[in-house]
Amino acid sequence: MFFGRKQQKDIEEQLSKRTYWSFAWERFRKNRMALWSWRIFLVLLFVAFTGDFIANDKPLYCKIEGKRYFPVVQDYAVQLGWSKWEAKFLMTPWNEQTFESVFWPIIPYASEQLDYKNTYKGPFDEQKVDSWRFRHWLGTDDLGRDVAAGMIAGARTALMVGVVAMSIALFIGLLLGALAGYFGDDGLKLSRIRVGLNLLFLLLGIFWGWSSRSYAISEGNQAANFFLGLLFIIGLVVLANLLAGRLERLPIFGKKRIIPIDLIVMRLIEMVNAIPGLLLILAFVAAIQEESILYVMLLIGLLAWTGVARFVRAELLRIRRMEYIDAARALGFTQWKIVFRHALPNALGPVLIALSFGMAGAILLEASLSFLNIGVPEEQVTWGSLLREARNYPKAWWLTIVPGFAIFISVTIFNYIGDGLTQALDPRLKE
Amino acid sequence: MTTYLLKRVLWFIPTLIAISFLAFGLSKCTPGDPVMQACFPEDTPFDEAVFEIEYQRCAQSLGLDRPAFYFSLSAAAYPDTLYRIQQMARRNMLSKLIGQYGNWPQIESYYHEIKRFKTKLAEVPDTVAAYALTNVKADIRFLPLQYKDELVRRTLDSIGVQVNSDAALSQRLGQGYQTLAGKYAAIKAESTPGRLYIPDFKWYGAHNQYHYWFSRFVSGDFGISLQDRRPVSRKIWEALQWTLILNGLAVFFAYLIAIPVGVYAAVYQGKAFDRWTSGLLFFLYSLPNFWVATLLIIFFTNSEYGMNWFPAFGTGSLPDDAPFWSRFWEVAYHLVLPVFCLTYASLAFISRQMRGSMLEVRQQLYMRTAKAKGLSAKAVIWKHGFRNALFPIITLVANIFPRVLTGSVVIEWIFNIYGMGWLTIESIGQKDWPVVFTIMMLGAIVTLIGILIADILYAFVDPRVRYSK
Repeated sequence: MFFGRKQQKDIEEQLSKRTYWSFAWERFRKNRMALWSWRIFLVLLFVAFTGDFIANDKPLYCKIEGKRYFPVVQDYAVQLGWSKWEAKFLMTPWNEQTFESVFWPIIPYASEQLDYKNTYKGPFDEQKVDSWRFRHWLGTDDLGRDVAAGMIAGARTALMVGVVAMSIALFIGLLLGALAGYFGDDGLKLSRIRVGLNLLFLLLGIFWGWSSRSYAISEGNQAANFFLGLLFIIGLVVLANLLAGRLERLPIFGKKRIIPIDLIVMRLIEMVNAIPGLLLILAFVAAIQEESILYVMLLIGLLAWTGVARFVRAELLRIRRMEYIDAARALGFTQWKIVFRHALPNALGPVLIALSFGMAGAILLEASLSFLNIGVPEEQVTWGSLLREARNYPKAWWLTIVPGFAIFISVTIFNYIGDGLTQALDPRLKE
Repeated sequence: MTTYLLKRVLWFIPTLIAISFLAFGLSKCTPGDPVMQACFPEDTPFDEAVFEIEYQRCAQSLGLDRPAFYFSLSAAAYPDTLYRIQQMARRNMLSKLIGQYGNWPQIESYYHEIKRFKTKLAEVPDTVAAYALTNVKADIRFLPLQYKDELVRRTLDSIGVQVNSDAALSQRLGQGYQTLAGKYAAIKAESTPGRLYIPDFKWYGAHNQYHYWFSRFVSGDFGISLQDRRPVSRKIWEALQWTLILNGLAVFFAYLIAIPVGVYAAVYQGKAFDRWTSGLLFFLYSLPNFWVATLLIIFFTNSEYGMNWFPAFGTGSLPDDAPFWSRFWEVAYHLVLPVFCLTYASLAFISRQMRGSMLEVRQQLYMRTAKAKGLSAKAVIWKHGFRNALFPIITLVANIFPRVLTGSVVIEWIFNIYGMGWLTIESIGQKDWPVVFTIMMLGAIVTLIGILIADILYAFVDPRVRYSK
């Protein structure tokens, strides 16, 4: 009896310590599919981060002529300019070096490495390799590129596209959704001078930062000049707000105007939703001839923010009527602080749901684009590009099954995670 | 109701205009010269005078001989008449020169001097220093395309060496060459890069490319394809038929299967049927349709795996005068796999929605009333429940069309069906921008109409919507 009481007390104590998030996690864990999806996601994340150590044409460790090397690690240093390869490593491919001792990664191939002796070799076919250690476990494509290594590179690309695109979407969606939801149509009051100066300085910033320097941007170092211009624009807008803060004190400039921010944001969402996303991305990526995964991420992010914004808006519409917001207001916090420090953190649950469904969409879109061979550089191996190759050679079933399954799994786990989150973060839980 | 509808329709216009800016802006960023693509697909004619006249005519017919937009906000260094330089390559060269040095008067007189030098060059008879003359002619052709200081100087030097190599040539062209080189030196000596930082607003009025393009677009004239010079509307119309057949069938089958499945899943909530179909549909929903399409093509359309049951590509090859039914069966046979791929994805979506909607209706009091009246279960479900649950599903029709339309891009590409999706990708590959941007605009319009119809239907079904706004 005595022990039972103590246990009871412990449980009560633990319960009182529990937060909303730990409750949500408990509920999320009960959904078995969601939990397994979460675990697979962690594995995928691990693979994407450590991809260079899992599949690489360089050994992890080797000893040549009495000297020890860690080529995979050294490769990072070389790329950063801190170190240089010795001539013999540049002259002879790694797999033809003579080692005293060597330790290869699990998959001793890089994704773009060609192996002309083994083209279109299936996983169970006879392969012309030195030992079982060098087998292509998931087969090769028409150029002899190892499919397993390609899968790992593809995991990295897919997750990177998802994460970067959704980060952009998150940033825009949180900002606009929070403003629209919290202020509504009549809550946001800005002085005329602030609105005017912001618009003016933004225009001037774009003009001086980009337009005037168009020659330098198009002919010189593109990215550096572009970002320099961007910094300049941001600086100018900050300056505009500092200036407006001063000028607002004058009565002529200080008159406040109501900005119907909710209306503006909702119209913007409607507009973005009306753009046929896939068509826009196809046209855009084809129009700027430079193929880079970066543009794909950027575009997906610029189109995907509406989902996040809607969720945040709906949640903030609810939160802004709560008592603690009134309390914060009464305590005299500034509006911006209330929105971003008090209101927004409590709206993060639905954002997570939007994010996980968005990840699924972004990965699917990237896969479709690389499947169509638009927007993703030819030499970059992705799940979609492997699947595309399958069409040319029906015999190579492994080129269909393996990458397609990876796309399927990664889309499914994000859908399941989203579904699990929807159940776990039910607003009724909060009360 | 009318005010609500009117409001909705009026919002349609700014959205459409914003998207047209996007499409037009993108089309201006595309690489390559549309005039060259449309009228000189092989090579530029050597006779420059003829080329210039032809170019002008072609640019005029495409509406490209005008300023791009109603106004421009650019640096004071740029003249407001730059668009009158018709040839895109030359215009680019001039604007790059302005971007470097910022002094239009000097650049303009350099440009005219090149032309003057060319006319003088043309007057020189071929018998004079034939070898040097050919070299000068080749060099001068490239001079109006170069803006990088190093390259311009090298070309000018090379012309100078050739001109001075022969006494007769030097006598005829020496003077001209001196002026030309002098004009170029003047650009660099008297550069005014400060003018690049003075903003300048230039007004062009309605006589501009955007206005021309958009007004013709609204009236249904989408321009001509740069690839084969056929009207874009014709190409799109041909493609649209296949897309409509494909997507119409897919949506039809999807609803046909999804509605009963959704209803039964809701009625037997939590039972085996519900659990199995929910699991299966979630699985289908996540299954990328281009993967399924590739799998089907690989396993069912060739004899490699002993299952050569379906045709792989296209829509059949029977001639137009073949009997209708044989043509019908041929097409149907070819469409089985693509329609399947398009159907299953929207099927999952619709039936999930149907189930949710039906679950909500089941809790309503009138359902209990119906049951209490002693109606049969069938009547309660189908007459009282289903009808009410159907409304949100109807509004889905409007939303699903744009979804399916973009979804069919990849499917059409995989199965080689000459629909809109196929045309889009083909045109992107061929850099046939008028087609690409017309499809983009049409896609946006279809989406907008879809949203509009959904809103109208919703307002029609649910009176609260129209009164609250």
